[in-house]
Amino acid sequence: MRIRATDRTRWRQTPAGVRDQMPAEVAARRRLEGRLLDLFARWGYREVATPTLEYLDTLLHGAGPGVGDRLLKLVDSGGEVLVLRPEMTVPLARLAATRLLPAEGGPLRLAYVAPVFRSQDRGSGRLREFTQAGVELIGDGGVGADVEVIALAAEALQAAGVEQPSVSVGHAGFLRGLLATLPPETADAVRELLYRRAFAELVAAVAPGPALDALRLLPTLHGPEALERARPLAPGEESREALDVLRDVLDGVAAYGLPVRVQVNLGLIRDFDYYSGTVFEAHAPRAGMPLLGGGRYDGLLARFGRPAPATGFAIGLERVLEAAPTPEAGRPVVAVAYVPLGYRRAVRIAARLREAGFATVVVSADSGLADAACTVAVTEAGFTVRTAGRQRPAAADEITAAVRAALEGP
Amino acid sequence: MDTLTIAVPSGRLLEDAVTLLRRTGLPLPGAGQDRRLLVECPGGVRVLVAKPTDLLTYVEQGAADVGIVGRDILLEQGRDVYELLDLGFGACRAVLAMPADRVETVWRPGRILRVATKYPRLTARYFEETARPVEIIVLYGSVELAPQVGLSDGIVDLVMTGRTLRDNRLQEVAEIARSSARLVANRGSLSRSARVAEFVARVEAHLAAEERPIHA
Repeated sequence: MRIRATDRTRWRQTPAGVRDQMPAEVAARRRLEGRLLDLFARWGYREVATPTLEYLDTLLHGAGPGVGDRLLKLVDSGGEVLVLRPEMTVPLARLAATRLLPAEGGPLRLAYVAPVFRSQDRGSGRLREFTQAGVELIGDGGVGADVEVIALAAEALQAAGVEQPSVSVGHAGFLRGLLATLPPETADAVRELLYRRAFAELVAAVAPGPALDALRLLPTLHGPEALERARPLAPGEESREALDVLRDVLDGVAAYGLPVRVQVNLGLIRDFDYYSGTVFEAHAPRAGMPLLGGGRYDGLLARFGRPAPATGFAIGLERVLEAAPTPEAGRPVVAVAYVPLGYRRAVRIAARLREAGFATVVVSADSGLADAACTVAVTEAGFTVRTAGRQRPAAADEITAAVRAALEGP
Repeated sequence: MDTLTIAVPSGRLLEDAVTLLRRTGLPLPGAGQDRRLLVECPGGVRVLVAKPTDLLTYVEQGAADVGIVGRDILLEQGRDVYELLDLGFGACRAVLAMPADRVETVWRPGRILRVATKYPRLTARYFEETARPVEIIVLYGSVELAPQVGLSDGIVDLVMTGRTLRDNRLQEVAEIARSSARLVANRGSLSRSARVAEFVARVEAHLAAEERPIHA
């Protein structure tokens, strides 16, 4: 086997689909995480954490065999296959069903921020490691719960600073009702085509008739009159109920009076097969992939031994940061410059500044700190606070006020 | 008003794609006639010309709202886009072919077949479904050459008329997929942009008016 030239310098690179984050990027992501967690907490959602590693069995059990190819796997010492979690809904369902619900009962309001991992085609421009923030409302099957998570999702987009976000809401039951009118083998074939969003191929799979007409119209069933247009297309009870639920959900969300466009989209198809009822996604202008997605998954908790209705959503933080760049400046750095005999006083004054919340670095007066917004020099009499073009003396007990004034400028 | 960005494929589908856009009433001065890859058109429409294999990346990532692409590429790449309409033109088939004089010896159940192709995933899926063993050799063009010089036993490639197969003394042994041009859209544009919805409706109305035969 030949060693390729690129292999020799591989140690410089990160693997495909994962990336380093520079201080400004991390600062922006942390700010966003902080805002979202704070928002979730104010809506009564408690943050939980689960391990990065889960058994492959857990994911297959929860999300179905279809996820298998999209997971990053490793083999444990005993031969068990472990996966890096691809999302947080299945781990939180496991956590809720096996730990929290038996102990506390429901409903549970849970929140998280966590890196998740998926295998992606090389060169597809999609990350293998990315961050999701989200909530799960477990143990409440009412329309009110659907409304709550959709309204919270819309508020989260606002808190994140996304401009002109729009939320599309659909319902898995509408499609289930349509598919129930087809022979079982045809329904399976159609489900497969819809999962690939291959609407153009439906004509080859379904016999001409009202079901085919309705299926082909799915991608157009969005916007203000979509519910009315959909009603005659799906006469079955399950589809009718789905449309009624959607009407109630939209009315409920409207009551919040959020400045975010929320509209019906019956062609919405989510990637995970555990979704059972209301589903939704949010988009920003000029972005091909959704920023946020979620919905109701009433069957999932039962798979982990504790039946409970549930709904929730996850936000892709990297996508949000791309759609809503936050140009906030980083925290200014204060340099405390010491001369040989003043070291002790320098580190003590630095401690006082750090206590007061200033980013503070102790440097020798000879070297200084090039990117310092403000320098506190140790002098015989006390201290001198210097900013660009200005300097004034300050005593130890007034140092924080002097530095604050210096940073705020004239 | 939002700009509507339409991606059309360079190569064999380009002419038909531009003709279709014109017939649906889009003013497209110059699009597809010179070497410009991005053409701004009146009425807030942009047309970008992408290599067929790259086109879905532009659409999926939101750099284009909608695109025109062969079904062969959709099947090969498995991207996250809506495949909305069969546009009818650009019909072709992906077939498995091998030298006519060697079919008897190599196309036998259980024999590991070496297949040269530009479509490794499509090929792998076919052999998985038919439970035949295969070794795939990925080439980027003129795959007909491979079996003639002993690089492979056969090929999987697109055929339109079958002339290239005949000229290279290759015999079709199985049809793997049928293809034609498709209209695709990304997940965001379809639901949030009224212009995209309107464009799709216009193309669909045009197809209905032409009453193109819809094939499987």
